[in-house]
Amino acid sequence: MSTQQETMPGAQEKRQFTHEEWSYLTRYFVGNNYRYRENIIIPKTLGPVQIKTNEEKMVEGFFESCFFKSLMSCVVGNMGPASVSDTEQTARQVFKEMKTTTLGYAKNFALIGALFSGIECTIESARGKSDWKNGTYAGAVTGGLIGLRAGVKAGIFGAAGFAAFSTAIDYYMRSRF
Amino acid sequence: MSQKEAQNMQLIQELEIEMMADMYNRLTAACHKKCVPPVYSDSEIAKGEAVCIDRCVAKFLDIHERIGKKLGQLSMQDEALLKK
Repeated sequence: MSTQQETMPGAQEKRQFTHEEWSYLTRYFVGNNYRYRENIIIPKTLGPVQIKTNEEKMVEGFFESCFFKSLMSCVVGNMGPASVSDTEQTARQVFKEMKTTTLGYAKNFALIGALFSGIECTIESARGKSDWKNGTYAGAVTGGLIGLRAGVKAGIFGAAGFAAFSTAIDYYMRSRF
Repeated sequence: MSQKEAQNMQLIQELEIEMMADMYNRLTAACHKKCVPPVYSDSEIAKGEAVCIDRCVAKFLDIHERIGKKLGQLSMQDEALLKK
């Protein structure tokens, strides 16, 4: 545009920007605008690209936070095993026994899931990288915490086992290797 | 004199815009190189990458500001020396 010609101080054909053009340029580069991609539209899975507003970013930030992720794992863990048990077809004494055991099992599962998810999210935030090691480290910490109740050796075995299990599950589900 | 001032103002504005655009390009290139691994399978930004980008941008802008201030100090010292 006019940059090449204005470097020479005595150039004849200088294009002068008007005040409105300068303001427009300043606002375009430095201001807080909505910018639409006019030249290339790369569709995501559903629909065209949209720039998010500040409120949307806050809401998405909450839904991506570690606390919400562990909460979701807790809820899903509670729903999963409890839905498998058929509590309506057995006799009353067996029914009561099954109810207590399955509820205890479901709560344990949900606690482990929530703990693992929260720890993995925290480790990923602390490291600042997203690769397969986050699952392994989180599995080691969770297994260690759970196994530590039964002694140090059980804690170490639990850590190793859970880390291996978590790595295998990650590899199978997302091929993160 | 006002015409010269107006031309100076335009030059300053143009330099400012050029500096801003250059800084934005360098910032995106540096933080992309640092935070996003070269081979990835997911198009969404993961949590670790988002955290890394936040930190990278904060550091970049902080360093930019500090070096700018230091450069201003140095240029003022040079000007004072020249006047003597």
